[in-house]
Amino acid sequence: MVEDDLETAAYVSKGLKEHGHVVDHAAGGLYDVMIVDWMLPEVDGLALVKTVRGAGIKTPILFLTTRSGIDDRVEGLEAGGDDYLVKPFALLELLARVNALSRRPPLAEEATRLQVANLEIDLLARTASRDGRDLELKPMEFKLLEYLARNAGRVVTRSMLLEKVWEFHFDPQTNVVETNISRLRSKVDRGFTPELIHTVRGAGYSLRAPK
Amino acid sequence: MAALYALLFAVSATLLFGIIYWIASQALLKQIQDALVREAASLADDQQAGGREELIRSIKERLAATDLPASYALLMDASGRKLAGNLDSMARVEGFSTVPFPAREGQGNDREEEAEHAVIVFGRNLPDGSYLLVGEDGYRIEEAKEAILRAFGWGMATTLLLAAGGGMLLSTGFLRRIDAINRTTRAIVAGNLSDRVPSRATNDELDQLAVNLNTMLDRIQLLMESLRQVSGDIAHDLRMPLQRLRQRLEGAKTKAYASPECDDVLELAINDTDNILSIFSAILSIAQVESGTRRAAFVAVDLSEVITTIADAYAPVAEDRGQTFTTEIVAGVNVRGDRALLTQMVANLVENAIRHCPAGVRIHLALEKSRIGAVEVSVSDTGPGIPRQEWQNVFKRFYRMDRSRSTSGSGLGLALVKAVADLHDVFIELSDEMPGLRIGLRFPPHP
Repeated sequence: MVEDDLETAAYVSKGLKEHGHVVDHAAGGLYDVMIVDWMLPEVDGLALVKTVRGAGIKTPILFLTTRSGIDDRVEGLEAGGDDYLVKPFALLELLARVNALSRRPPLAEEATRLQVANLEIDLLARTASRDGRDLELKPMEFKLLEYLARNAGRVVTRSMLLEKVWEFHFDPQTNVVETNISRLRSKVDRGFTPELIHTVRGAGYSLRAPK
Repeated sequence: MAALYALLFAVSATLLFGIIYWIASQALLKQIQDALVREAASLADDQQAGGREELIRSIKERLAATDLPASYALLMDASGRKLAGNLDSMARVEGFSTVPFPAREGQGNDREEEAEHAVIVFGRNLPDGSYLLVGEDGYRIEEAKEAILRAFGWGMATTLLLAAGGGMLLSTGFLRRIDAINRTTRAIVAGNLSDRVPSRATNDELDQLAVNLNTMLDRIQLLMESLRQVSGDIAHDLRMPLQRLRQRLEGAKTKAYASPECDDVLELAINDTDNILSIFSAILSIAQVESGTRRAAFVAVDLSEVITTIADAYAPVAEDRGQTFTTEIVAGVNVRGDRALLTQMVANLVENAIRHCPAGVRIHLALEKSRIGAVEVSVSDTGPGIPRQEWQNVFKRFYRMDRSRSTSGSGLGLALVKAVADLHDVFIELSDEMPGLRIGLRFPPHP
């Protein structure tokens, strides 16, 4: 983690550690995820990312920025960042995104199908089925399910869904995510066992087979 | 412009020519007249010196002297009998007059020759009762007049051409410089704040204008930079304490001694903090959009895809509220702009309709392309609508129609819609659906 505000650093460190991550505060080495603050006193966060990428390091990078974020997002992603968060953020939001970035084992980008319990997703045909029965998903419903499945077992927050599935980079004033998740549930979970789409209170949603 | 100058020049040149022409012909006439008077005086003197015989001899001498019959003379006695000269007897006239061109022997005269060669004569009664007339062919004057006319004709044509040519050169040069200024200011309005108007070191009025414009632009750029700096600083300075506030509240929630009631209070406090932050972000977003700098990053956007995504996302939301959601989307519509902002703009309008309309209402989202290629996005509803006198105010910041009802949301949604529309040169048109409201977003035609 590269963060100049000590309080934030302590807060984030503590949170991450509590959830089982190993955190090093601004040292070198091989890491699973880099969290970079955009506005650092001596080093420009953007320049840091460009340098890292220029050196061929492929570690996923999460940006933290305090500005309203419109410009920075595009700039940050173009420089090689993978995701970004605007300060202040909920710790759970950070955790969810860090988890999503630090996929273990890394999911091969060329995967053609995903499977969770009896749910099968054909990424090439863009269809999904459970127990062999086609779920007849509409394109956006499939996209939503795909994102959940790619992060199976992890929590995905509402903002992550808004940004990645619908490409909405704003705060909706309606319950868009809940409604669409509910629609998806009625197709994916109703009439099947086990229940796969779970709501994680205060955090977001998760697709997983219960243990 | 050039035509006007040429016309002005032509008029003044004609005037000048007219005056010179008149003066010249008058002068020539006077010259001839003076010569005639002198001639008559001289001949009268001859008579006085040597009598009638002397006078007749003088006349014959003078007439014989000229090769061309340009000079004329006539001497009549008291009874009107011609004594000498090459003119026929005529009625006595004292002073100046003109006499028609005398016919040459054996030849008829054509009218034109007659007119041109009218003889200018000076008549004088002599002491012995005879009448002396001396004359000069007026052709000299006509010749001179013609020469002047010709000279002026040629001169006029040449100068007119030069005037027109020169005028055009001047005006195009002038126009070109004005056009350069226009182009630069347009580029600046489109978001390229660092552009400057070209100025040459000619120091004329146009140049001074360019220099002044550039100074003004420097100032504006400076103000905008400092505004962005301040906004950035505000963003950073305010977010730091807000972030800490939020972190502490979250931290307090997880503390071991937190009771369920405490939990709820903390949850509300966190929500309020988030609310402040979103209002804050919205204000900064609007300011940034309004600054126009986002225009520089415009790309081609598949508007059909954007609208379809919005429709897919919000249809269930409307249905859950007992509203009917319909769409009419033309495929393959592309516009130039910022994808994220365009998405937000349309989504804002859809959310507005959903939230402010009750159940049973029909909401319609459309993307249309007219025959001439004009693109329009529209969100219509059959809900309560907005009173016409409020249409102007609805897009202002923090506007809320019903002040007593504190709906969630900051009242900034439509302000952002307007800011994004302005950035994309999109025209917002409201119309009364009777019942309901239709908000149309008309995109500028593709260049």
